[in-house]
Amino acid sequence: MTAKKTVLIGLLGPTLDEGAGHRRWEKWRPSVSLCQHEDLIVDRYELLYQKRWTRLCETLARDVRDVSPETEVRCTEVELQDPWDFEEVYGALHDFAHAYPFDPDEEDYLVHITTGTHVAQICLFLLTESRAFPARLVQSSPPKRSIIESPGEYRIIDLDLSKYDRIATRFRKEQADEVSLLKSGIETRNAAFNRMIEQIERVAIHSEAPVLLMGPTGAGKSQLARRIYELKRARRQFEGAFVEVNCATLRGDAAMSALFGHRKGAFTGALQDRAGLLRAADGGMLFLDEVGELGLDEQAMLLRALEEKRFLPMGADEEAGSDFQLICGTNRDLSADVAAGRFREDLLTRINLWTFRLPGLRERAEDIEPNLQYELDGYARTSGAHVTFNKEARDRYLAFATSPQARWAANFRDLDASITRMATLAPGGRINIEIVEEELARLLESWRDPESPASGAAGAAGAAGAAGVDAAGDGEGELGALLGAERLGGLDLFDRMQLAGVVRVCRRSRSLSDAGRALFATSRLRRSRTNDADRLRKYLARFGLDWKRIAD
Amino acid sequence: MITIDGSFGEGGGQILRTALGLSLVTGKPFRIEKIRAGRKKPGLLRQHLTAVNAAAEVGRAGVRGAALGSGELVFEPGQVAGGRYRWAIGTAGSATLVLQTVLPALLTAREPSSLKLEGGTHNPFAPPFDFLQKAFLPLVCRMGPKVEATLVRPGFYPAGGGCFKVEVAPAERLSRIDIPERGEVRRRLARALVANLPLHIATRELTVIGRKLNWPDECLRAEPVEGSQGPGNIVVIEIEGEGVTEVVTGFGEKGVPAESVADAAVREAREYIAAGAPVGAHLADQLLVPMALAGGGSFRTAAPTRHTTTNAKIIGRFLDVAVRIEREDSATWKVAISS
Repeated sequence: MTAKKTVLIGLLGPTLDEGAGHRRWEKWRPSVSLCQHEDLIVDRYELLYQKRWTRLCETLARDVRDVSPETEVRCTEVELQDPWDFEEVYGALHDFAHAYPFDPDEEDYLVHITTGTHVAQICLFLLTESRAFPARLVQSSPPKRSIIESPGEYRIIDLDLSKYDRIATRFRKEQADEVSLLKSGIETRNAAFNRMIEQIERVAIHSEAPVLLMGPTGAGKSQLARRIYELKRARRQFEGAFVEVNCATLRGDAAMSALFGHRKGAFTGALQDRAGLLRAADGGMLFLDEVGELGLDEQAMLLRALEEKRFLPMGADEEAGSDFQLICGTNRDLSADVAAGRFREDLLTRINLWTFRLPGLRERAEDIEPNLQYELDGYARTSGAHVTFNKEARDRYLAFATSPQARWAANFRDLDASITRMATLAPGGRINIEIVEEELARLLESWRDPESPASGAAGAAGAAGAAGVDAAGDGEGELGALLGAERLGGLDLFDRMQLAGVVRVCRRSRSLSDAGRALFATSRLRRSRTNDADRLRKYLARFGLDWKRIAD
Repeated sequence: MITIDGSFGEGGGQILRTALGLSLVTGKPFRIEKIRAGRKKPGLLRQHLTAVNAAAEVGRAGVRGAALGSGELVFEPGQVAGGRYRWAIGTAGSATLVLQTVLPALLTAREPSSLKLEGGTHNPFAPPFDFLQKAFLPLVCRMGPKVEATLVRPGFYPAGGGCFKVEVAPAERLSRIDIPERGEVRRRLARALVANLPLHIATRELTVIGRKLNWPDECLRAEPVEGSQGPGNIVVIEIEGEGVTEVVTGFGEKGVPAESVADAAVREAREYIAAGAPVGAHLADQLLVPMALAGGGSFRTAAPTRHTTTNAKIIGRFLDVAVRIEREDSATWKVAISS
């Protein structure tokens, strides 16, 4: 076992490190003292200095070598006209970090933030926090009494490690609150959904770019958009309003006018000036649901408004301005719309920088229970009536709700309506088994849509499709060709669905490794060693398959 | 494999150094656990790591667990080789402690050795160079080998930067020595050394020593030291008897008056003279290992310290010798080693 080398990066501090003659050993000089600790060995010291302090730097380097023969000292000149100039110092240190051949696999880095001007200290902190320096901070302090007794204290601060300090805990709590806000306080259990919400939280805080929320109707796009707005408003990133419109409701002149406003007399019936929704969203957020329904003219105007933050209201001579964050919702495949000429490619490029796909309720069966309570609370708020399930009824309802029979065609809208019906009908505010049974019949009836025949088997296939794996459809044929009907018949639906999805990813990939990376994209982040190709090879071998068979 | 609990007895670096030294000589590997377990900063510190590395170099040893803060170490020595070595010790840590670790093995190595040690030469918590040179090494020489130490320049805490050289002409085996009496005092000398400090500090110290010990002027010497990195001040009181020389050291400290530094050294010297035992506490610590390697030896000393009793226990783990520590009267003890 060879331990990693410890590399210290620090600025020469003309004030604190100052000292000439023998008296210098009687004072605490942070840059030297840090190499005098019995429990810290610095293998290499990158000492940054300004030209005017060359002599002092030489003294320090010599003294460090004396007290710490283990240390290789390298002095690097950093040119600074004004060490109190934030921009200059940040630039110089950033350049140094950028050019430095960091090798975190072999070396541990410490950035010493005790020396230098306050500006330099702040810059070092920021550069370390942003990982420009892939380092931990080290802060040193003088000995309580005399340097003869001890070289003082030092503390290593790992900005990454949550184990350090209450600050991190506070950040985490804040973040947890924000994630919870995005989930409307519902303790969702679906791991993929929770992960997505955490990503959205990060994006929401750090980005002003448009966000595209995809997902089936009733998956909660509109609600999520509103939560993102509330989150940013709570963080004072917004002062303006949340403006929401469903593009399917906008047609013709009315669409242009509703979005971009008009001048009085711009068209028949334009009796007064109208500011339009984009103006109303100035300084806030505009949520365009079903954005795929937007006409091509409106799309062009919207693109310009996004790029220039300016647009021309109907009938106006002068452009109006509005600065808003755009969130779009859609349940359509917009790239197909682009291919069909129904949607502008440049607009799609613009709005899908951050795309999140909201899963339908069926893909989040484990979230139905926490949502149940949320819906009941919602009913209590709007109706003023507090309603509860009895245990038997609750169990029955949940068993059905999470079974393949429950299609949840309109997702949360269905769940919301279902709970509202039961709550309304509940005798004495108590939902019993009879109410539930009636409701289940109603739900099944509502899902028996002639256009999409819903039987148990098709329900299961639908669930598979929702998970991105169409096992009962093409996948079945593909698998049959690969495995033969007999072998295929010997597999559980569970295995068939999984395998069909894996085969599909393989066929989209260039190589086994490529496919492995895609399939294990999440778990590989948690592994120190990854061998996705091997995992995939072993999985395929269980079915007598190999890469060549599939690729052919 | 010999397993040692690093937290027993003295519980510090001494256990490790003694075990390393004995392991090198005997060729027996050992594992030490709970290294410095009760200390404020437990585990291996820099100076211990330097000692481990030096021992590994001399003994071509395999080492596991040699890292800062490590609480466990496995040391498997190969063939000890004398030769030229240079070791630099950080944090002005004591270079004499590193010598103490490797010297036993080099005393009976096949080849002579030429060592250069850099770092601290005069540290409050380690045998100072003068003690090594005047008190300890002459006794080692009486056991057979020829060991000569020369100070190139002193290194005081915190600047360090000191250096001394040691030439070792090994012997085939060590022979027994016995130190029953101090014998007649043949020579007395008090030196006050100042490095990069005013000379009056030295003269004030010597005034106190001369007056309190009632020594004539020719026994007092003020010495300005050249070549030291940083400031430093020590007083060295040498009492040379027929059978043994004892060296008492006082360390000057910023903020402590020269007179107090001298007072402390005088007190220690008086205690030694009054006790009548020829071997002082520090020398007793150092003598145990070479005497055990010689297979026998004895001396009379004042009350044994924890260092001494701890060393005796470690010796028992590596060597088949008996260390008997017996009280003779109120002030003297007899230590006898026999195989």
